[in-house]
Amino acid sequence: MNRISSKIGLVAAALSLHVGGAFADEILVGAEIPLTGSLARVGAGMHEGISVAVDVFNKTNGKHTIKIVTADDESAPAKAIAAVEKLAGDGVVAITGGYGSNNIGPASDAANKLGLPYITSGGVAENLTERGYKTFFRINNTAGYQKAMVGLLDTMQIKSASVVYSTKEATADLAKDVEKELAAKGVAVTLHAFDPAITDFKPIINKVRLQDKPEVIVMVGYENDYVGILRAAKVLKPKVKAMVGVWSLATPKMASDFPDLMPSVYGTALLPFPAEFQTEEGKRFADTYMKLYNKAPDYLGQFGFVQSMILFEAIARAADAGTLKSGGIAQELARTDRQTLIGRVQFSDKGDNLNFVHRMGQHQDGKIAIVWPSDAATGKMNFPGVPW
Amino acid sequence: MSELIMQALYSGVLQGGSYALIALGLALVFGTMKVINLAHGELVLLAAYMAYTVESRFGLSPMFAIPVALVLVCICAVLVYFLISLIRKDRELNSLILTYGVGIILTNAVLLIWSADVRSTSSAWMQDALVFGPFYSMRSEVLFFVVSMALMGGLWWWLSKSWYGRAVRAVSSNRDAAKLMGINPRTTEIVSFVVAGILAAFAGVAIFSYGVIQPAFGHALTVKAFIITVLAGIGSIPGVMVGALLLGIAEALTVTLASSALQELVGMGLFLLVLFVMPNGLFGAAGRRG
Repeated sequence: MNRISSKIGLVAAALSLHVGGAFADEILVGAEIPLTGSLARVGAGMHEGISVAVDVFNKTNGKHTIKIVTADDESAPAKAIAAVEKLAGDGVVAITGGYGSNNIGPASDAANKLGLPYITSGGVAENLTERGYKTFFRINNTAGYQKAMVGLLDTMQIKSASVVYSTKEATADLAKDVEKELAAKGVAVTLHAFDPAITDFKPIINKVRLQDKPEVIVMVGYENDYVGILRAAKVLKPKVKAMVGVWSLATPKMASDFPDLMPSVYGTALLPFPAEFQTEEGKRFADTYMKLYNKAPDYLGQFGFVQSMILFEAIARAADAGTLKSGGIAQELARTDRQTLIGRVQFSDKGDNLNFVHRMGQHQDGKIAIVWPSDAATGKMNFPGVPW
Repeated sequence: MSELIMQALYSGVLQGGSYALIALGLALVFGTMKVINLAHGELVLLAAYMAYTVESRFGLSPMFAIPVALVLVCICAVLVYFLISLIRKDRELNSLILTYGVGIILTNAVLLIWSADVRSTSSAWMQDALVFGPFYSMRSEVLFFVVSMALMGGLWWWLSKSWYGRAVRAVSSNRDAAKLMGINPRTTEIVSFVVAGILAAFAGVAIFSYGVIQPAFGHALTVKAFIITVLAGIGSIPGVMVGALLLGIAEALTVTLASSALQELVGMGLFLLVLFVMPNGLFGAAGRRG
């Protein structure tokens, strides 16, 4: 009896040591993200992806456990700095998150000063990587969106386009880059900047309709802008062959919330809808997302997941090497080279993803078909085609 | 070019009508109590989300949300009044901080209840084009422009002809003298907050019917309403109408003749110019005509 008791005691002691070990290896990671304010929707979407990454990593890694500490930056640059400083005070070893280049800029400045690696997919302004920080990494960039939009317009073989874009930093950068590349290809392009506060787009679309008379209207903005532009276009009915947008447009949410405005509209899309995941990681991501949020994943969740998984893996490698607190995470991140849900990720010495190229999707009968590039296409492009 | 300008003027007038509807409530409370209710935009937004709920949950036209929005927004407006009435010192200044805080609470309540997603009506009737010759608009824009003008006319009649309306004006002019005349300033102030709530309810349903709403949108509405209130001059209903139309047309013409990127700048420039040249506003106390 005594021998049995002592064996049980040993097993219990071993188990308690194991549990104790697991707690000792719990690593804090900060998520600085807008959960309130004007970017709350996109911030919440990215945060869902981060939470899915934590769940997947903790279940599959076995050795290290990640715990997320979230700080809401309220969609404001000053609050983003405060959020990073708070997270540093909480003892995080790195930061994932950030949305909006104007928030990510100062937040990653603060992280760099504190020696914290910062990884994001929420800001594509070019100056973010021009700073040359060794602690800053992002998995997407303007060039990837630009390639996808120009590639689609090339396929359409258009001769003229009007680019309607928000004056926010990332959208203005992208619009001007797209304009430059199209102009170099001999396409006549007219730019129309709009203030982010604008609600009535009819005067702009009327200028496009009566003065520019383009073949395609290119929209570079955000969800509320797209709805406004498409509404105005539906009223004024300019004689164009296509309405092409960028992020936040070819999404299941837009398809279900604005079914009358979306038919035949194009936007960047990583996946078709309904989503089809082929890889083991993709299936695990989709299952966990469904389990946690009871809905199909979208691109925001996907980006949040990818950036966080890359970071968690780098943290695990640095922890194994014993360099967690001596710059090892940034070094491991810089060495990243792996296939992810958004394609291969490798970072340049400035922290930009060298391989990022987006795809273009089109709303078709309440679904989203990938129509560019041709090797990833899941459907045929409905061209010419507009919602009215 | 003339077609462009005519459409810009038409869009500007319709937009001005929308601005007037948003600004009326703020102007009324400002006129009565000298209090800038910085939560006014959030009250408008609350009504917009009621319209969204009625449409998405019950499949009804946003117009059916008006009675529900009226009750909810008026209750909130009265609650804001009771909070303001608790201020014992420097009411004009402290109420700014208080109502700003109320606005933040309401924004976050909206965020918690309805999430941060972009919302707008899915009613095809509201969005369908209404074309008069060279003038293009959505049906909902014209409908709520008419509602806006009717409400403005009704408010003007109420303020000039009804007992309570005249009481509001009396309290606005001289609170102590009104008291001596047997008017209860507290009741009058509550009435003006309720009327502001009614106007906010209509404005919210209107915005949902032709625009896009998000939880953080309330603050921008308050700023727009504040600009118009100052342009108009304290307590002037015709001033609100003229100020709102002026702003709407100036913005639309800026987009057409220059760039939309300058639209907000022109609005603020107009605001500063009027403040500089006519500190009492277009129809303010010094030269009030309405």
